[in-house]
Parts: sequence; structure tokens; C-alpha cells
Amino acid sequence: MPVMTFLEAIRSAMHDAMAADDRIIVLGEDVAVRGGVFLATEGLLARFGERRVIDMPIAECAIVGVAIGAAIHGLLPIAEIQFADYIYPAIDQILNEAARLRYRSNGDWSCPIVVRAPFGAGIHGALYHSQSVERLFTSTPGIKVVIPSTPADAKGLLIAAIHDPDPVIFFEHKQLYRSVRGEVPEGIYHEPIGKAVVRRSGADMSVFSYGLMVHYALTAAEQLAAEGIDAEVIDLRTLAPLDRAAILASVEKTGRALIVHEDVLTGGIGGEIAAIIAEHAFEYLDAPVRRLASPDLFAAPFADPLEDHFMLNPQKIAAAMRDLARY
Amino acid sequence: MEEAHEVPPHIRLGLSRQRLISGLRTMIASRETDDRLWLLNRQGRAHFVVTPAGHEATQLGCAWAIRVGHDYVVPYYRDMTLVMALGQSILDILLHAMARRDDPSSGGRQMFGHFSSRRLRIVSGSSSVGSHLVHVAGIALAFRVKGEQDIAVMGLFGEGATAEGAWHEGLTVAGIYQLPAVFVCENNQYAISVPVNKEVPVPNVATKAAGYGMHGVVVDGNDVFAVYEAAHQAMERARNGGGPTLLECKTYRLRPHTSADDDRRYRKSEEVEAWRARDPIKRFEHYLVEHGIITHDEIEAMRREVRAEVDAATDAALAAPWPSIESIADHVYG
Repeated sequence: MPVMTFLEAIRSAMHDAMAADDRIIVLGEDVAVRGGVFLATEGLLARFGERRVIDMPIAECAIVGVAIGAAIHGLLPIAEIQFADYIYPAIDQILNEAARLRYRSNGDWSCPIVVRAPFGAGIHGALYHSQSVERLFTSTPGIKVVIPSTPADAKGLLIAAIHDPDPVIFFEHKQLYRSVRGEVPEGIYHEPIGKAVVRRSGADMSVFSYGLMVHYALTAAEQLAAEGIDAEVIDLRTLAPLDRAAILASVEKTGRALIVHEDVLTGGIGGEIAAIIAEHAFEYLDAPVRRLASPDLFAAPFADPLEDHFMLNPQKIAAAMRDLARY
Repeated sequence: MEEAHEVPPHIRLGLSRQRLISGLRTMIASRETDDRLWLLNRQGRAHFVVTPAGHEATQLGCAWAIRVGHDYVVPYYRDMTLVMALGQSILDILLHAMARRDDPSSGGRQMFGHFSSRRLRIVSGSSSVGSHLVHVAGIALAFRVKGEQDIAVMGLFGEGATAEGAWHEGLTVAGIYQLPAVFVCENNQYAISVPVNKEVPVPNVATKAAGYGMHGVVVDGNDVFAVYEAAHQAMERARNGGGPTLLECKTYRLRPHTSADDDRRYRKSEEVEAWRARDPIKRFEHYLVEHGIITHDEIEAMRREVRAEVDAATDAALAAPWPSIESIADHVYG
């Protein structure tokens, strides 16, 4: 099985899916000739031509809205928002249009689009190139929110998103693009949307996370293992719909829960997961549910010490885990 | 009045007698249905009405330019006459207004005015003004991706929508890629209460076409023949690879914006009355009688028939079942 970076896996997903189905198109800023500012769409123009790989003006509302229109006439568009920080002009299209098209037409129309967007801090991106915005999309029904952490998941989930009958917002952590490598199956395959996976099995506590933070949580869990604390690390993979069964099954086993995300604390998905656990697994808990998230700020500031302070890291996660274990 | 030696427009445009009479029936059906909806609203039996009254010629002329079920239509909330001309029945409209299970547009989910039919290629819209013009560009782009020719999409909106960012982005993309799309502005001169000179910085919306690299055309929106001629040319140009058009139809809304509006707060009754004298339906009737297409008596008979149909459809819609409670979460996901 070939070994790929996260970025290569994303690219491979689009290459393989587009080769198999000519309804799939890619559109966004710099996606064609430039191959994307991160090179996620590199090679697509040469292989599939300008009808299917489309450079768009700087108009995020149109990038998503045109994708919606193309889906209405039977295509399977992949819209790229260059940075998640710039998704705001498209929010009306995503939440008011794409999410509701099937429901508002009583099932007559549907909107099978994917919106890909790089997100996340730790790359000196400052306030407008490092935001985590997933919380804005996880409370509207009709859309799915997927955030992979491994190359194999990135490819399998992206292909599943492309083939999904509903709009899928697909967030890719920028730090993972080139820092993470792994075996990736060749050709077309699906990882299931809506299913979490256990990345590390453990008995003493459950750590729920997604994206880059899964890797940090795994590093922290290894540190704690040396200290005699056996943590389970759950990679949520999909934030909407959440895999409630996997969340509750893990907490029922361990009795302790820590939710870790780079998105801000207030309104982040951690609050929803904590509520699910409180409502449905209260009797199993040996400690309060804990959340570890970025501070309630806009994004990582540009100055190095401020960015370092803003970002979570394995040490901060390990400290939160120790604290929870001691309760 | 045309000069005596001029060929009458319906002949020049190749509109058959049958098409003219059917068009008149649609206009009358639209106005009678609108009348009924306001009555039902005042009786507390229809929660909401948004009126097409005054826009009938614009919408019929546009509908004539569409190949039903082939070309796509992306309407806005005022396009009741349009969708009736495309094939939605009086009963369909009443079921939609009464939010019944069998409402073909939304199954009782959307408030009145959100017309949709996949069969007729009428695309469902939201209430966010102007948000659908990017969909128009996307549908037109899909024709090109699929290599489909001899097909076009028409998107319609009020002049108020032209201030929206989504409107600008939709026309920008359509212009850049010279897509087979026709953008129809039904300029009724008010965005609820705000007059056109506070919505549009130039006298004609169509002037903006130059900035998007597309054709811009202004017509009298109360003249069904002028609208049809311009809309037909624009759709044909789009179907034949000639690029997009911004078509502005100047008209007037003869009633308040919706049943929740009071237009006496922002416009004078003399102004409304002056436009009522230029009612596009009366104008079309006058033309048809003058050209021997139909008689006054036949029009009155037609109106009586339509009223009977509206009565029957009202009874049927009021007796029609509500959507079941169990269906409330259907179609959130596929």
C-alpha cells in the first residue's frame, strides 16, 4: 500500500474519484492552473480539463452557490474555500441554501456538494489564516461536517463525502498536510461519515478529539501510559452528525471524559459532547466531564509567544488528562 | 398604438391564437387566484400572500420564452403567474398557500411564494433576496460541463435584489464564463418601501450588464409582447452560445408587497391608481379584442370559468390533508 502525506491523500481522492465519475467537478480560487495554494488540486486541470477544473474569481458566495447550481443539474461539485477563514461570505449559501434544499422542496431537489476548506493554527497564519470555524456549521441540520486526522481517512472520507447525497463541509487541518504520512489504499474506497474510531484503546479515561488534536492526544496518551494512566483516544472524524453511540460506549467503559479541540471553548462541539454524556451516561461518570479548547479568542495571534500560548499541544493535553485522572 | 401598416406583434412574433388565449387565461387565473388568496388571508385562513398583481405581463412573456421541462427556471417569490404559465395549476397554488401535504412546491414547509417543481425544472428557492442568482450561474455552468447545448436557464428577481452581493457574484461568474443564462429583473420600483432610486444607483438596472460583460435590455414590463420578444431573443442567444443577458422589465406592483405590508405608508394612492389604469391584463385583453382574437363576452365567460375553478380549488385545498406530524423531519438528509 502506498505511503502518502495527508495532502497527497486528499489529492489522490479527487484524482481517483474524478477519473471514475465525470459528474465530479472542482471549483475554487487558484484550483486549476496553480493547483491550489496548498497544491491539493495539483494535476487535476491537466488530467480532467478546464470544463471540470474551474478557476473562480474571489467570490466565496459564488464558489459555493455555483456548486449548488451545478448539483441541481446533476453534477457532484467539490468547492474549495482557500482558507476556512474566508468561508463567511458563503455561509448563507451553505446554511440557508445547501442545507435546506432537500427539506424545503419536500425531497424533490437535493444538493450533493462538498465544500473543502483548510483550517487551523500553528502555521503563523494569524487572525485570518488560522481559524477553526467548525462550530458555525455543526448546529444546522442538513449538512455534514467531516474533519479527518489521517491520510487514509482523508482519502476515504473525502470520497465518501463526494458520493454522499447531502452537502458535506470537509475541513482539512493545514498542519497535517505535510507533517503526517501513512498508508493509503489505492483507488476508490469509503470511510463511513458519522462514525468515530478508537485510535488508542484504554480503560481509565476517554479523550475525544478530531483533526490535528488527535495526534497531540495520542502523544499525550503515550506519556500518561508511562505514568500508569491508560487513556482511550477517540477520533470523532465527523462532527455532524456526531457518533453518539461511540461517545457513550467509550465513557461507559472508562467513566471519565476529556474533549479536546482547537476550536474555541464557548460554542465549540465539546459543549455538545459534554451535554450528551451528562444526559445519557451520568451514572457511569467518576469525574466531571472536562473540555480543553483554544481560548475564547478569534484565532492565533501573529506574535510567536502569543501563538504558542494560544495553541494546544501534547503537554497541555497531558496535563489536563493527569488532572482528570486525579479527580 | 402601432401604425396601420405595421404587422401586429403577435403575428410578427409567431404567437398562435391558441397560445394567446391560453396566456390570457393564465393571467386571469393568476389575478383571480391572487384575489382569492388575499380574501383567505383576511379571513384568517391563509397565513401569507405575496402578490404578483401588476407583474403578469412580465411573467407571462418570460414564460413564453421557456421550453417547459427543458430549460431551467429559478424564480423568486413574486413569480406566481410565471409558474402557472409553466404548468402549476390553481389547485397547486392553493395547496401551497394553504400549506397542505400535497403542496407540490414544498409539501407545506415553505411559506407562500416559494415555488418549486423538479418535473417542470422550477428550482426551489429560499427567502434570502438575490441568493439564487449564483445557482443560476451554477446550473448554466453544468450545461457546459455536460456538453449540453440548446438549453438555457432563466433567473428572476426584483430590482431590490440587485444590491445584494450574491446577485453581483452570480452575474460576475455568468459574465466571465459567458454562460447560457438570462437574468430577468422585474423592476416594480419598490423594495417593500424603499424606492428604486435608493436601491439602484443608475436609472436602468440593465445598465449594469456592461459591467458583467453581458447584454443589457430594457423593456416595458407591462407589454407582454415586448417582454416575450426580448426574453425569447435572450434565451435563444444563450442557447446558441451567445452568452448571458440582463433583461429589465419595468413594471409596478399593484398591491402591497405582502399581506403583512401596508403600502399606504410609502406610496400615494394616486400613483397606484395611475398604474392600475395601465394594468397589464386589461392592456392584453384590449389588444386581443382589437385584433379579433377574442371578444369581450368570451373574456367574461373565461373569467367566470376561472372563478369557478378557483372556488373548486379553494374548497379542495381547504379540505386537503395537512402534512403528518410524523413527516416533520423527513428529507433533512437523503
